[in-house]
Amino acid sequence: MRFLALLRKELRECLPWLLLAAIILLAIGGFILRDAQLHEWYRPSPSRFPSGSIMKWYDFTIHPPLSPVGPVLLLTSIGLGLALGARQFWVPHFTRTWGFTIHRSLTRSTILCAKFTAAIIAFVISLGTVWLALYWYSSHPALFSMLPVKRVFIEGWLFILLGLVVYLGTALTGLSTARWYTSKIFGLAFAAIVIFPVILQWRLGWAFALIIISALILLSQTINAFSEREF
Amino acid sequence: MSETVLETKGLTKYYGSTLAVDHLDLNIPRGSICGFVGRNAAGKTTAIKLMLGLLKPTTGSSTLLGCDSQQLRPAIRRRIGYVTEGHRLFRWMTITALEKFQRSFFPKQWDDRLFADMIEYFQLSKRQKIKHLSNGQRAQVSLALALAPNPELLIMDDPTLGLDAAIRRQFLQGMIELIMRQGRTILFSSHILGDVERVADRIVVIDKGVLRANCSLEQFRAAVKKVILTFKDFVPDEVNIAGLLHCRRTEKQLELILVGTSDDRIAACADTAGAEEYNIVKMNLEDQFIEYTAPKNHRRLFKWEEK
Repeated sequence: MRFLALLRKELRECLPWLLLAAIILLAIGGFILRDAQLHEWYRPSPSRFPSGSIMKWYDFTIHPPLSPVGPVLLLTSIGLGLALGARQFWVPHFTRTWGFTIHRSLTRSTILCAKFTAAIIAFVISLGTVWLALYWYSSHPALFSMLPVKRVFIEGWLFILLGLVVYLGTALTGLSTARWYTSKIFGLAFAAIVIFPVILQWRLGWAFALIIISALILLSQTINAFSEREF
Repeated sequence: MSETVLETKGLTKYYGSTLAVDHLDLNIPRGSICGFVGRNAAGKTTAIKLMLGLLKPTTGSSTLLGCDSQQLRPAIRRRIGYVTEGHRLFRWMTITALEKFQRSFFPKQWDDRLFADMIEYFQLSKRQKIKHLSNGQRAQVSLALALAPNPELLIMDDPTLGLDAAIRRQFLQGMIELIMRQGRTILFSSHILGDVERVADRIVVIDKGVLRANCSLEQFRAAVKKVILTFKDFVPDEVNIAGLLHCRRTEKQLELILVGTSDDRIAACADTAGAEEYNIVKMNLEDQFIEYTAPKNHRRLFKWEEK
């Protein structure tokens, strides 16, 4: 009951960012898919290649219509990670509500767990649901002649996980009492560095492993920072 | 009544190289209403946060209800109410939402009627959001939230800061509500000595992180005295008397601030110094506190006044 009360409070505080992220992804992703559906730009049209013209290999490099939504999802996920990390771990510092939050009949680890749970729920509800909806929409054979492969769908979830890594990095930076030019920046810098190998990684398994390892590193550091931190 | 609910031993806190709390040894007995007073930056908030385990001491320790402050279990925290400095609450919540939120942490202790009574007494609407409340109204909500779970120990960090006289009085009335319940202990920091005088039975004075007094209010009131010695011709630079804290010289008088000096000794001192007459000036608690915590060589606000 106490955990649920705290979780509800955390979710309510995440709600504006959760909705904003969902709306951004739905609007841009929906627009891209609708555009693809109307203009069928994702496949080479015979009208674009009149007979006798020279066709190069890249004219045939075609993607499923959901693929261009991937970068949008990645950016939205990073944005949501930054926003939630800041909301949960920076704002209480500026509004001086840490004392009121911490002094209650819960251990610090439970309080932190409620924050993490709220963030995961926020990611799943906003980005996960919208991504699932976009995938489902783009998989409609009646609407699109080229259906997305599963890899695109999994890549999307990796981008969502990457957002969680950014969230943990922001949380760690927010909890740090060091100066900006010293170890405070570590959390955000680490999360930023992780993004590049993940998006450049061709093998999904490696990308997934990289995300999990970096998330575990940041998670252990964040738990330690929260339990040791003075409020 | 002699059971100690709050105890600190050599509690010290440094922020970098700045000493905030210096070897604080404090005992607060159960059932007392303790005014924790000190000037700005005296270390009151730091001391309170150390006691609650929100800050880590550099050295020393403190216990609350018999439990080490650094390892306060949820079950112990449930017995301690805390009103934060500036009444920082979740701004987006309504009073009802905040009540529901707080109640879930005290399922058996929460007194719905007391909370409703206090909200009604303070003439607040439960539908109001915290962000739309004034500073005084937020203080009232804070107090209601802290009192509703019937805490054994209530710690309040400058609860009346920024409140006008009428709201302060209402707030103190709310505190008295808790005091009426047996066995409750209150520690509240304040700058307003009138408030301390009105409700506290014990006073703790902290100055630059150092504990200067920890006694009953009556003892403090009786101990700190201002004596004016009037001389006919020659005014000595100072006099030798036990308990002398400050000595100020004017044209024909010596103003002495004494601590714990008996009236007999004062009379003897006046006689020895050759004073024509002496007066023990009655001071209110605020004057006593200011004199007691004034620095030795307190300079005037404007330097030209010293000429």
